[in-house]
Amino acid sequence: MNPFEDQIYVIIFSTLFLGGLMSTFVVAMVFIHRQRQAQNRQKLDFIKSEHEKTLLNIENEIQHETLSHVGRELHDNIGQLLSLAKLNFGSIKPEKHAAGRELLSQIIQEVRSLSKSLNLDWVDEISLEDFISQELEKVKSTGFCETSINFETEFSNLKKDEKLVLIRVIQEILNNAIKHASPNHIRISANQLEGAQHIVIQDDGIGFDINQNSNGSGMFNLAKRMETIGGKFDIQSKPGNGTLIKLTLSS
Amino acid sequence: MNSGLLQAFSHWFTIGANLLLILGVIFFIKLPKEKKANIQYWLPFLILAFTVFYENFGSYTNYNYEFKKAVNAYLGNTEYPQFNLWLFNIARRQVGVILYLLLIRYWLQPAYKKYMNWMILVFIVLVVVLQISGVEPLYLNQPIIFAIGANLILIGSGLYFIGMITRDQYLGRNPLRLVSFWQMTLIMFTFSLNYISSVTLLYLYAVNPVLGKALQDLSYVMMLGTLAVLIVTIASPLFPDKFEKEPSFEIS
Repeated sequence: MNPFEDQIYVIIFSTLFLGGLMSTFVVAMVFIHRQRQAQNRQKLDFIKSEHEKTLLNIENEIQHETLSHVGRELHDNIGQLLSLAKLNFGSIKPEKHAAGRELLSQIIQEVRSLSKSLNLDWVDEISLEDFISQELEKVKSTGFCETSINFETEFSNLKKDEKLVLIRVIQEILNNAIKHASPNHIRISANQLEGAQHIVIQDDGIGFDINQNSNGSGMFNLAKRMETIGGKFDIQSKPGNGTLIKLTLSS
Repeated sequence: MNSGLLQAFSHWFTIGANLLLILGVIFFIKLPKEKKANIQYWLPFLILAFTVFYENFGSYTNYNYEFKKAVNAYLGNTEYPQFNLWLFNIARRQVGVILYLLLIRYWLQPAYKKYMNWMILVFIVLVVVLQISGVEPLYLNQPIIFAIGANLILIGSGLYFIGMITRDQYLGRNPLRLVSFWQMTLIMFTFSLNYISSVTLLYLYAVNPVLGKALQDLSYVMMLGTLAVLIVTIASPLFPDKFEKEPSFEIS
């Protein structure tokens, strides 16, 4: 074999080797892509099922609370009104009968508003700002602490399930503040910055160490709930310095 | 018609490239206005038109020896007046490489685009330095410049494939139905084989012309394949059921 032939074989071999190498590379890339695609699909399915689970839990919690509220209303409000109406209709005086009829109208109104709260249609009907205002008004009316609200953005683009999650997260944060923080003031504000909407819930209560496990697990659940609607949950707190929670939703 | 002119343009590669340009023009004219203004479609069309232009110009220089000789003399090459390497050095190994790098850059995620900008800049500087310093004159074979260009294209294609297996935008799609995937694959193969062909061509023609011609023909086939993929890219909006929508990194 002469040296020219050797060199020719080297050229042929190099060409075939390079062609084979590139073919293998492209095929391997497609194969890896397929594998990652399957993994990605599994991940998405998992996130979807987590989202559905979270929604189901939230709906159960709201229904449970609603039933407790209905029970309380039936016993403390409607039951009392019915007893009063019975007394009025038992009297022989005509003015008592008129008062009884007024009471019956009031009872009908109360039952209507109670029946409305039994399903979740109210979530569609109420704006997030109105809901938070009502919640803060409830807190204020108990004389527990002062509250204030400042909304600079509207959350009209939220879907029902996203709104439901957000409502539950805010309720839970307010409950935590009332139960554990002993604040003098709770302030909720909302704004839009850099393509994202933010809700900031701030209290001037006793604060806590966010690294402590006892508080951390509750906060972890709230963060997970925010993740299911593509949002973020950030908390800043120190003992004696109050708590600031920021909920972020990309627009 | 002049038989010499006819002979110069009668090579199957030149005829094939011209036919592909006609197809490309037809598809590009049929594109909606907003697609014509989109770099995804006009850049492949520009590369197609530019490639066919310089291939035809190369054929013309083979017909008009006096013109070729004059250009060679102007560049300082009186030793090989029959060469038209200056044309292919400028068009295929320098401008062509930059155009393909820009095309690859278009498909990459923003982080990788920065690397591509630097790669293009470094390539331009190296080309200028190597030519001005006389290391690789414009009128002779330029293996170093072509090697750098081919390697940058290989790196660019590699970055595309990395994005393809890591980015969510690609993981939701079937790569075999993406024109960008076929573009990258064909560009990678064409430049690698062209590189081997160009560095061994002179030697092979002297020692084993049959093998030299076979390797040259293989390069031509790959180049026609790349031009065909560019046409497919231009035509892809006209056949929406055949191709998947390319991932966009602008929104994410």
